[in-house]
Amino acid sequence: MNCIIVFLKEDPKMKIKNTDKLRYAFRAIVFKEMGDHFRNKRMLILFGIILLTCIGSLYTAISGLKNATPAEETESSFFFLKLFTLSDGTLPAYFVFISFLGPLLGIGLGFDTINSEQNKGTLSRMLAQPIPRDYVLNAKFTAALLVIAILFFSLSFLVIGAGLIALSIPPTAEEFMRIMCFTFVSVIYVALWLNLSVYFSVCFRQPTTAALAGIAVWLFFTVFAPLLINLILKTLEPSPYAPPYSQYAFQQFQFAIIQLIPNELYSQATSTLLMPTIRNLGPLTIEQIQGAIPGPLPLGQSILIVWPQLTGMIAVTMACFILSYLRFMRKEIRSR
Amino acid sequence: MSDHHLSIKTGLLFLIILLGSLAETPAKTLELYTPFTKISVPPGETVNYPIDIINHDSITRNCTIYVSGLSSKWEYSLRADGWNINEVAVLPGEKKTITLQVVVPFEINKGNYNFRIIAGNLTVMPLSINVSQKGTLRTEFTSDQVNMQGHTASTFTFRTQLKNFTGEKQSFALSSVVPQGWSVIFKPNYQQATSVEIEPNQSKEISIEVKPPHTIKAGKYTIPVSASTGSTSALLNLEVDITGNYSIELTTPTGLLSSSIIAGKQKKIDLTIRNSGSTDLHDIQVNSSKPQGWEVSFEPDSIPIIPAGEAMTIVATVKAYEKAIPGDYTIGFNAQTPETKSNISYRLSVKTSLLWGWLGIIILLGTTGGIIFLFRKYGRR
Repeated sequence: MNCIIVFLKEDPKMKIKNTDKLRYAFRAIVFKEMGDHFRNKRMLILFGIILLTCIGSLYTAISGLKNATPAEETESSFFFLKLFTLSDGTLPAYFVFISFLGPLLGIGLGFDTINSEQNKGTLSRMLAQPIPRDYVLNAKFTAALLVIAILFFSLSFLVIGAGLIALSIPPTAEEFMRIMCFTFVSVIYVALWLNLSVYFSVCFRQPTTAALAGIAVWLFFTVFAPLLINLILKTLEPSPYAPPYSQYAFQQFQFAIIQLIPNELYSQATSTLLMPTIRNLGPLTIEQIQGAIPGPLPLGQSILIVWPQLTGMIAVTMACFILSYLRFMRKEIRSR
Repeated sequence: MSDHHLSIKTGLLFLIILLGSLAETPAKTLELYTPFTKISVPPGETVNYPIDIINHDSITRNCTIYVSGLSSKWEYSLRADGWNINEVAVLPGEKKTITLQVVVPFEINKGNYNFRIIAGNLTVMPLSINVSQKGTLRTEFTSDQVNMQGHTASTFTFRTQLKNFTGEKQSFALSSVVPQGWSVIFKPNYQQATSVEIEPNQSKEISIEVKPPHTIKAGKYTIPVSASTGSTSALLNLEVDITGNYSIELTTPTGLLSSSIIAGKQKKIDLTIRNSGSTDLHDIQVNSSKPQGWEVSFEPDSIPIIPAGEAMTIVATVKAYEKAIPGDYTIGFNAQTPETKSNISYRLSVKTSLLWGWLGIIILLGTTGGIIFLFRKYGRR
């Protein structure tokens, strides 16, 4: 952080407008933070884990695809997208891995954002500089988000490249757009967990506490929330002889309650984006199915299907950011 | 006295010369022989005469041999050892056998027919054939009903009789000369066939199936059918009266059978009903088969008449079920008259309304607005 302070002090062009100077300062903090992330051993370990799972899933997908190639039509069935969704059972598919490991990455990037600086005493020194207070939080968040985006987009391009080598079939424009959308959704999903852990890092003075709190939430949503929801659903389940409308209402309730889990939102959104044949996520009535013929949806319609999930994820991410922002702005920061 | 003597002398001389000339006559040197010189046969029969040529002379006799007295309608041939014979040579004291084959024509009157076999200028053998009855080549090909009426899709089945009046069993080839697209099938014994055998003076029922081409215009058409052998043939003209076909074609003006629709919204689809048949279509009804919850109405939903070859456009208004899921649905459109019908399946790709999408965007704008508000409040730029 010292170098930032020096940099800010020794700004040579005194005539530069205030807003330009501030933007310059913001950019400087972002780049510095990104540099910290890339040099950090903890981050390298997390990146390594994600890269390994990506390669593993890609390997199983390609070996599965090679068996599936002769039977299936390549053009119509969105062959390339199967790289992300296909699994032969030994390893989960790529997007399932991300729904599981993405939170860990987000928590790992964010749990010591504020509190470690506070503990080292650098936060008060930084805030002594002529920059707005929220720039510290905003820049740290932006830096982490950029790192996540770089990581995920490079992983996606890695998969596309490996797929091109292994299958020698180029993705169609729509497939490419779907992959980009999937990557974007993954970035948002990890940003959600990043914001949550940033919030914890503002709340708790000890980084370990913040990390544990983040991991606790993650574990709750991956392990305990499904159990809890199952418990609730078991008690509410209507008898098989119940009238259809109550069965339908129960199915809708089940669909709604499952969506409280962010992992579920993510996997619904990504599976719909990566599998164009998915036409609906919730329960269906006979009237809706009648006359429907199976076929892939255009990308716009797929996005419309998962629009509630996407909106929910983005809104929750923003809400977490607002919380941590408020908390940070009202925080009393004293030098040690 | 001397005059008298002279006359006796000259008379004797004449007698000697006469006797001498008799001894030299060729009838005695070559003889023709066949056992049956008069044969009675029906018309159309083939008669084989074995003919012996006997040489009574002491030298080899060579002479031409031919038949005379048979009209050109008769067929005959002289054969020996597989050859056609025109001249024959016989060694002294030997005989040679040749065969005369005579074919009695079918068309011939009853009576005696004489002819001769002539061996050069050496000998003649008269022969006689008695034709036992009046022969004819007549074959009759008739039908009780030679005119039939129907539309283009129908099959015209004519029941005809083929009678063989000739004296022989005949094998008739059945054929017809029709323009391209027509199909004529002969069924002599309920089996499709191209030829039929009929005993003399017998008749056979032959059913003839005529199928007109699909695209033929209404009108009268003559189908000549014939039964023929090498020697005789009979022609029958069948008449087919086509009343015109009924054909309706339902499509869209562009031919495109797919479109998109927003769930819960209406969509107007133009439909073209074309009369592709050769007669006017009356009372055309249009209806649809649709998934539950969908509504389809037509404007108009019935058309009183479409002349042959003309087309009409109607408008179908489709309202998608408001809870339809995005993706493809099929709707069947059906146009029918009492005579014919046509249906198409139309593919509608349902898109969901953007209403809930806008709600999501408003939520996002709200949160973004909150963040901007916080920036303003706490930012202290």
